Amino acid sequence: MADLKSQTPTETLDVLGRVCPYPLVLTKKTMEKLPSGGILKILCDAPASAEDTIPRYAEKQGYKFESVKLEDKGYWELYIQKT
Amino acid sequence: MAIRKLAFIVDKLPHKTETSRLALTHAIASQTVEIYLEDGDNVEPFLVFIGDGVLNCVKDQKAIDIYGVTSLGMHIQNALLVGLNVYVCKEDLEKFGLTEDSIIMDAAHLGGELKTQIIPYTEIEKRVEACDHLLFF
Repeated sequence: MADLKSQTPTETLDVLGRVCPYPLVLTKKTMEKLPSGGILKILCDAPASAEDTIPRYAEKQGYKFESVKLEDKGYWELYIQKT
Repeated sequence: MAIRKLAFIVDKLPHKTETSRLALTHAIASQTVEIYLEDGDNVEPFLVFIGDGVLNCVKDQKAIDIYGVTSLGMHIQNALLVGLNVYVCKEDLEKFGLTEDSIIMDAAHLGGELKTQIIPYTEIEKRVEACDHLLFF
């Protein structure tokens, strides 16, 4: 199966400028509404959220997760697929 | 496997202390605690404003102009945005001469779907009695 990042996301969530715990809370709320198999793309510049809480949430839920750190832009693109 | 109901109860005035802000921050943050809990365990938080605490919900607080801090209004809107139930005591609002038009009722401009609920004190009591933990701010 193709990487999540190479697929068209079902929805994109922009949490740039928001700090913990908002990126995770908003991610959770968005994922709850996403259909099974849907992919959420998250734009996030909060390190603790991008590198810890959101990946931890995806793992706990059993969701497929990918992260791309855009060093030049200073934020992460995170991809979660709802199973 | 257990769901713990948490009531964050605010009965203090806004801005002179950090207590109201802490209540909002902790209530919002509590929605993420499941990632650190065992599978099936979770919390169900909600916010209650009673007594002097209802003044935290007033619109156009201008806190940045007066105290140099961000308004609690935005924090309440964020709470609604992330799906926290916010209850305000009807009798205490009336005591201050406030109405639905005087307080923050929604976060629609942020995309929030929930609305602030103004309910009688007896209804607040029922909700609080059903909680596992009460946190006063």
